[in-house]
Amino acid sequence: MQCKDIEFVLEQEGLEPLPDDARAHLTECRNCRNYIADLTSLVDAARKLPSEITPPDRVWISLRAQLEAEGIIRTPAEIVPAESASWWESISAFFRNRIVATAMVGILIAAAAVFQIRSDRITPSLEARKSLGTPPAHALEEVPSGEFAGTAQALNDQEPVATGMILASTSPVDASLRDNLKKVNEFIADCERHLKEQPQDELTREYLSAAYQQKAELLSAMIERGRSMN
Amino acid sequence: MCLQMMEITPSRPGTWTKRNILPLLGAGLFLWSAAPARGAGTGQSVEKQFKITGRPVVVIHNVANGRIEVKSWKNSEVDVVGTQSSNKVGFDIEQVGDRIDVTATILDPAAQPLELEADLQLTVPEETELQLKTETGLIYVEQVMGDMKLESYAGDVHLKEVSGYIIVKTTGGSLVCAQCAGKLDFSSIGGNAQILQPQLNNVNLMTTTGNILFDGDFVRTGLYSMKSGKGLVEVRFSSTDSFDLKAQTATGTVDNQASAFLKPDSHGGVKHMASKFTHGLFGTVGMGLAKVELSSYSGTIRIMRRD
Repeated sequence: MQCKDIEFVLEQEGLEPLPDDARAHLTECRNCRNYIADLTSLVDAARKLPSEITPPDRVWISLRAQLEAEGIIRTPAEIVPAESASWWESISAFFRNRIVATAMVGILIAAAAVFQIRSDRITPSLEARKSLGTPPAHALEEVPSGEFAGTAQALNDQEPVATGMILASTSPVDASLRDNLKKVNEFIADCERHLKEQPQDELTREYLSAAYQQKAELLSAMIERGRSMN
Repeated sequence: MCLQMMEITPSRPGTWTKRNILPLLGAGLFLWSAAPARGAGTGQSVEKQFKITGRPVVVIHNVANGRIEVKSWKNSEVDVVGTQSSNKVGFDIEQVGDRIDVTATILDPAAQPLELEADLQLTVPEETELQLKTETGLIYVEQVMGDMKLESYAGDVHLKEVSGYIIVKTTGGSLVCAQCAGKLDFSSIGGNAQILQPQLNNVNLMTTTGNILFDGDFVRTGLYSMKSGKGLVEVRFSSTDSFDLKAQTATGTVDNQASAFLKPDSHGGVKHMASKFTHGLFGTVGMGLAKVELSSYSGTIRIMRRD
């Protein structure tokens, strides 16, 4: 048996058990022994890796932004929910859990209170949103319709959640995060406007794609900080 | 009592006089009185040393506010000194093989920012891999020759005489990298980057609103990419450098202060042209051995000779 035969045997049958003629070759060939040893250590190391790792949200958002930027995927069509049990059965099943039911009632009361306060003070509230930079003009008025539409929408949906989680914080870190979010939003809006006028401008497109990725990471950081504080 | 002892039993009778003793005593009293005050100001500190057999990996996660300082020595040990402003911050320090994990944690979420200050000072073998993550406060690394990943939200990162694959990621913090070697990746939203006297052969700098300054030599066959969304990108090269230059901006300007040294094209192969949507500048300095790409969306790109 030759060295190339060993490679073939490994490809076909794996590391164990090796056929007799392969083992006979190994007793004479130092290179193949080293090769087998390297492979064995690689396989051992791979076995020690966790079988499944859940990546953070920002990975998916960045991936999506990149794929959309490269035109590999487009904004998905709205998902039509599969037909299942009747709406009443779904609601009653949901409310079977008393804790969930209590929480839902609490949320409804809070939502009603917030709605009442907002309707009383609609103007100051909008001013506050502007000062935070969340969500920015481009998010409220002109969601981009190009290849970044899906990313922009996903990030704009996530933005109030992320900013809300550190809203009460006065720490310099959170102030810096909010300030940088405002900067990114302004930059995105600027690039979007420019791309509307010059849709073929690849340099602007690159900057816009990078800005969306930065925004995704920033929102993820805000959410992580919010979770650690609460 | 101390005074009496010193006056009564001098080490060399006749040489000790009140004139000699009083200033010493004064200084001693001053230090004695100052010591407790300093202690109260800085809170507790903890020091640990770890023996290392191979190439160490140091992982720091500082969620408190504070400075992380890493310097090197010749010993096969990692020395960690943590200083905290109050007992509302705690340090978890542990060794797993050649990996040292240091985590500063907030013990009381209701604590005020001033109570959440935790500084870390590390002395490590020269060839140490670093993974440092902090929220605010300076990260300072000097004379470490291992790969490093440094992340900060609002803190600055200062590197001096470091080499390896260096990754720096900040949200608003700035980078100053002096006499760095190897490969550098920097990304930030609002932070600036200053690269001074480098020996870097691969550079990727990206900031959305910050400025970039590269002041130093381009290593032959090196690859350099510097991008700023809205800020200034300034390159100061030396007359002995050799590189191909590509500078592009969408709505900004290119300020070429080195036109006397930039030849139109180098290699005669691909003819470079700016897209009709961008302002561009292409040229070659020397033999054009390194590749330098500068871009800014709406800022200024400035190219100038250093000497």
